[in-house]
Amino acid sequence: MSTSYPPRTAETSAATGGFLDKSRTVAPHDYNRFLVPPAALAVHLSIGQAYAFSTFNLPLTKLLGITQSTSADWKLEQIGWTFSIAIVFLGASAAVFGRWVEIAGPRKAMFVAASCFGGGFLLGAVGIYLHQLWILFLGYGVLGGCGLGIGYISPVSTLIKWFPDRPGMATGMAIMGFGGGAMIGAPLSIFLMDRFKTASSNGVLEAFVAMGIIYFLYMMIGAFSVRVPPADWKPEGWNPSARPKKLVTNAHVHVNTAWTTRQFWLLWGILCMNVTAGIGVLGQASPMIQEIFTGRVSAATAASFVGLLSLFNMGGRFVWASVSDYIGRRNTYFVFFLLGIALYATVPTLGSLGSIPWFVAAFCVILSMYGGGFATIPAYLRDLFGTMHVGAIHGRLLTAWSTAGVLGPVLVNYIRKFQIDSGVPKAQAYSVTMYIMCGLLVIGLLCNLAVRAVDARHHHSRDA
Amino acid sequence: MAKLKFVVLWLVVGVPLIWGVSKTLQNALKLFQ
Repeated sequence: MSTSYPPRTAETSAATGGFLDKSRTVAPHDYNRFLVPPAALAVHLSIGQAYAFSTFNLPLTKLLGITQSTSADWKLEQIGWTFSIAIVFLGASAAVFGRWVEIAGPRKAMFVAASCFGGGFLLGAVGIYLHQLWILFLGYGVLGGCGLGIGYISPVSTLIKWFPDRPGMATGMAIMGFGGGAMIGAPLSIFLMDRFKTASSNGVLEAFVAMGIIYFLYMMIGAFSVRVPPADWKPEGWNPSARPKKLVTNAHVHVNTAWTTRQFWLLWGILCMNVTAGIGVLGQASPMIQEIFTGRVSAATAASFVGLLSLFNMGGRFVWASVSDYIGRRNTYFVFFLLGIALYATVPTLGSLGSIPWFVAAFCVILSMYGGGFATIPAYLRDLFGTMHVGAIHGRLLTAWSTAGVLGPVLVNYIRKFQIDSGVPKAQAYSVTMYIMCGLLVIGLLCNLAVRAVDARHHHSRDA
Repeated sequence: MAKLKFVVLWLVVGVPLIWGVSKTLQNALKLFQ
């Protein structure tokens, strides 16, 4: 399996922009396509660290006091904004830079993502050193958030082009990495903080610097190894026209056209509702299980519950997206919404019955579908809008995630607080929330029902 | 060479992922103890 590239001269390097340029990443026809998913995973496993940022929360409140917070230390609620800013900039940068990622190619995009994400940690470290919170926000939140957004979408269209026969499985594999990133990021940050802890430092500053360098280098493995298929490449023996499907197109829709179509906004609604229902629960999982089963679930056991949910969130990304290759994207979302509605409606009963195993099982399935929703959406976009602009369209669709990131926790937190303030016992304070989640999933179900193939007038030729 | 690259790349992403999953699983299993 030899790898041959166009001859490189000073002229072509200057013309193409050198090693990072898209033209330098075109693989030969006999390239093993299973070399591409690890490149995508290297990026997603890194940026998935964002979900583990909370491991820094408490240590960041003790930067001056070291062992305990002083009055001059940052407050927990202030630090909480770092993650929120990062998620907002994830959605915004994916939407703004999605088109650029398509033009520049995955290697340049991954390099920029690595620079932003690694640089975000380093700038954040400067903020910690100077004890200036705004620099931490600017570093990890804004710069790191841009790294998250660009990194998230950079391998998606490449994988879809390499696996036109199994787009769900391919993108599921990468997006699974984003779920798995927290599982590496959390123990890694704890290990580093312990390692660098001294009498005059709680190790956060040094851990930030180390993680900035580690993640930059790890993401660069992805940037160096990623390849795009030749323009006319297709898997051996695969013939797309042999089994035409109603919702799957072989044509292409331009990103600027795609987001004016009804289908784009229906998919936006589907993603937003599915994510809102899951993200609120994920953020409140620990207090929720402790309050519903008061006295029976300790904080440590609740942490185990959160870990289990993370595993199902990650596994669901690969499993459900792979399943969608066989049963179709629309049917997969029907399963998410119908099963989700049934499970959310059952949760209050399971809580009042005191059935912890069934309660845990129900939420494991719910969280698997939350992850599955993220992982299946790129393939759904590819089915409706074609492969050519799918990365850019996916980038714009991720604004649904940013919206859900605010909507989900707000719904769960405020409704719970309102219930408790109205005199409802803590154990029952989540029932209304669960029924509201059912309502959100009904909206998602209706959006999915309304999805039809994109009208042919929106299609354009490959060279357009 | 291509086979070696295949193995190395999958190890580079697989080993940290398995390490993270096993750590999480160890904690998650406490739920059933």
